[in-house]
Amino acid sequence: MISTPCNGPAFDSGELKELKQKLVDGCHILDREGITDGFGHVSVRVPGSETFLTIAGVSPRCATLERLIMLDFDGRYLGGEKSPPYEWPIHACIMRARPEVMSVCHTHSKWSSLFSVVKGGLRPLHMYAKFLPAAGPPIYPASGLIGTVERGQALAAALKDSAAVLLRAHGDAVVGASLEQAILRTIQLAFLGELAHMAVAHGEPLYMSEEELATFSAEPAFPARPWEYYLSRVRERRAP
Amino acid sequence: MAADRKNVPADAFITISNVSPGCVTIDRLIMQDFDGNYLDGAKTPPNEWPIHACIFKARPDVESISHTHSKWSTIFSVLPIKLKPMHHYGKFLSADGPPVYEGIGLVRTVERGNDLAKALGNGPAVLMRAHGDAVVGASIEQVIERTTRLAMLGEWNHLALLHGEPRYLTAQELEVYNADQRFPMRGWEYYVSRLKDRR
Repeated sequence: MISTPCNGPAFDSGELKELKQKLVDGCHILDREGITDGFGHVSVRVPGSETFLTIAGVSPRCATLERLIMLDFDGRYLGGEKSPPYEWPIHACIMRARPEVMSVCHTHSKWSSLFSVVKGGLRPLHMYAKFLPAAGPPIYPASGLIGTVERGQALAAALKDSAAVLLRAHGDAVVGASLEQAILRTIQLAFLGELAHMAVAHGEPLYMSEEELATFSAEPAFPARPWEYYLSRVRERRAP
Repeated sequence: MAADRKNVPADAFITISNVSPGCVTIDRLIMQDFDGNYLDGAKTPPNEWPIHACIFKARPDVESISHTHSKWSTIFSVLPIKLKPMHHYGKFLSADGPPVYEGIGLVRTVERGNDLAKALGNGPAVLMRAHGDAVVGASIEQVIERTTRLAMLGEWNHLALLHGEPRYLTAQELEVYNADQRFPMRGWEYYVSRLKDRR
């Protein structure tokens, strides 16, 4: 039985066609960039509603338009494939707590996993980190998967008003005002993790201060440029 | 090499016949019994068939075994520090990580195979000093996923240790996770999709 979303378009509505394709593209980009493996998921808020689209229990690499699901913030099924990701509360609880967030990525990124268990945090040392605070992203310290609303709320509390949170022994959750921004930030977080790891092997690097980070615009100056770039790399793979 | 004993006579298993896993085909498989006797298929048994025969004999719960020379298992087989779970991908391991089989030399005799099985004990994996690893599971899918995850954990442990002692998962925390794979086919579908690129 499909419940009707209180507002906003239904799953099969033509209005969502473009958003669904963007969601599939975003999943393939994270796979192409080596950030996700068999696991991890991306969600996008259905504009003007308390519902979201994500992938239905499938690797981001294997996501297709037929393998998407629509849920509301209580996890109720609203359409699409019937198997929600086990950790759907990551998306529902963050979107509920952060009305400005349009998209959430959850990955088991090697670099986020690494900085979730080492001392010192993942501190900005490149301008790609301008979306992070000088101390680096907060860390959600509990072990265990985010399979319940209670854990999802604890994760949202750890994220607070940041753009990213590391999940200890697990990975990360990254948010954005658009799907493109959430995907780009997830890639940049992994890039920063690798860079910080390499730099620390040389001794204490010169990190960016709060004031220095503030000199950069918080908004991406050219949001469409990296999206076009990453999409072009996915298309190389899709080409016969 | 990976071996599996489903759908074969009791006390027998199928493995690859002395060929790289990268070059294996259906025509290059062999069936042997636990004493190494040839039963069917291609005629050249792998040098280290006792790895499979002796573990299968000792562990009736095991349906599949992989043996690799994984870079990350090898490095932790020779370091004083252990490969321990610091990510939930290591939930199939104990908090103090896999044991190490200390014997040097290939496992070409039943005596050595028995020693290896003893080092493995009831665990899911054993590192083999200066050699690699042996990983067991209740299905081929589980063994393949465990083997890839053991390698990921080895790499991640290596990276983390360059920053000092990482925060490992405790035995109590590991219990929070379901020991069984929640979605065994999701990882398998992902890995198979990567093979299709190559094929």
